[in-house]
Amino acid sequence: MSGEEEENAAELKIGEEFLKAKCLMNCEVSLILEHKFEQLQQTSDDPMNQVSQEDGGWGWLGLPLVLFEFHTWPIPWFSVDNPTGVFEKSLQYVKRFSRYKNPDAVRQVREILSRYQLAEFELCVLGNLCPETVEEAIAMVPSIKTKGRAHDDEAIEKMLNDLSLIKKFE
Amino acid sequence: MFLKVKLPWNVVIPAEKLDANGLMLHKSIVLRLLDDFACKKATKDLGYYLAVTTLVSIGEGKIRSNTGEVLFPVVFSGITFKIYRGEILEGIVHKVLKHGVFLKCGPIESIYLSSAKMPDYKYVQGENPVFLNDKHSKIEKNVSVRFIVIGTKWLEAEREFQALVSLEGDYLGPVS
Repeated sequence: MSGEEEENAAELKIGEEFLKAKCLMNCEVSLILEHKFEQLQQTSDDPMNQVSQEDGGWGWLGLPLVLFEFHTWPIPWFSVDNPTGVFEKSLQYVKRFSRYKNPDAVRQVREILSRYQLAEFELCVLGNLCPETVEEAIAMVPSIKTKGRAHDDEAIEKMLNDLSLIKKFE
Repeated sequence: MFLKVKLPWNVVIPAEKLDANGLMLHKSIVLRLLDDFACKKATKDLGYYLAVTTLVSIGEGKIRSNTGEVLFPVVFSGITFKIYRGEILEGIVHKVLKHGVFLKCGPIESIYLSSAKMPDYKYVQGENPVFLNDKHSKIEKNVSVRFIVIGTKWLEAEREFQALVSLEGDYLGPVS
């Protein structure tokens, strides 16, 4: 079905756009979208209220400016009231599938996983699915065990332990 | 997978929206960008367009001689969602049919799990039809399921992705 026969996330063959793009975990997307949704609720009169140039507090995600919302502004010429529903569907989804809710915990998850020489894609799959055992982690991200990479079972075990500690203390 | 992307975009402002006041012009550009972005829905390369997060820069405007519109090259960051073959994801069942189930995952709603790709599950008819296996795992409406993506398809006319998924693999199936 897929246009590029080569693509296979299990082997980390995931296309050129990854050179330009960074992956985000569900819990990170949830924080960003919920924040934007709240901004939207608060300021409905003037859309420019939402276009703040200040640090929205998400600098650690590399998203320093949480600027504006696009889907339900009461502006006549902009009366495409959420034409696609992409925002709502995604917000609902990440709310349901975020393992970590607390912003500090979310930040720690990325910090901890960053210590293990993972590709962005692998890091986010682990953060999203939160495997409980080494065997499960390898089933979810087969590429971590491919030849030439330094992940022995002990390192993976330690990583999973670190993650479960964050969950425990959240 | 959700992606953080940085994209160039050309924003076209009609002549009547131009204003000597810099802030108003800025506003027109921002609104136009958000409007365009919201209508775009998705692209084959980057997937579904969720949200603009940062306006990185606004370049010099160029006048289009035939219409008098002004084109501003801008760069912004945003979030998109794309589904990859081989990726393991979780989704929610929204329709149970005799030959398989449909799931949704983020903005994508046509994700099909055929009964052929969950051989240990049997269809059980009823008011709320379900798929059951020997270990009493149940796949029914609104249940979360962890699956592997075996194929994706981009529909240019609808600007949508479809995906075929499977439960053949370890640690796949309904999740609590």
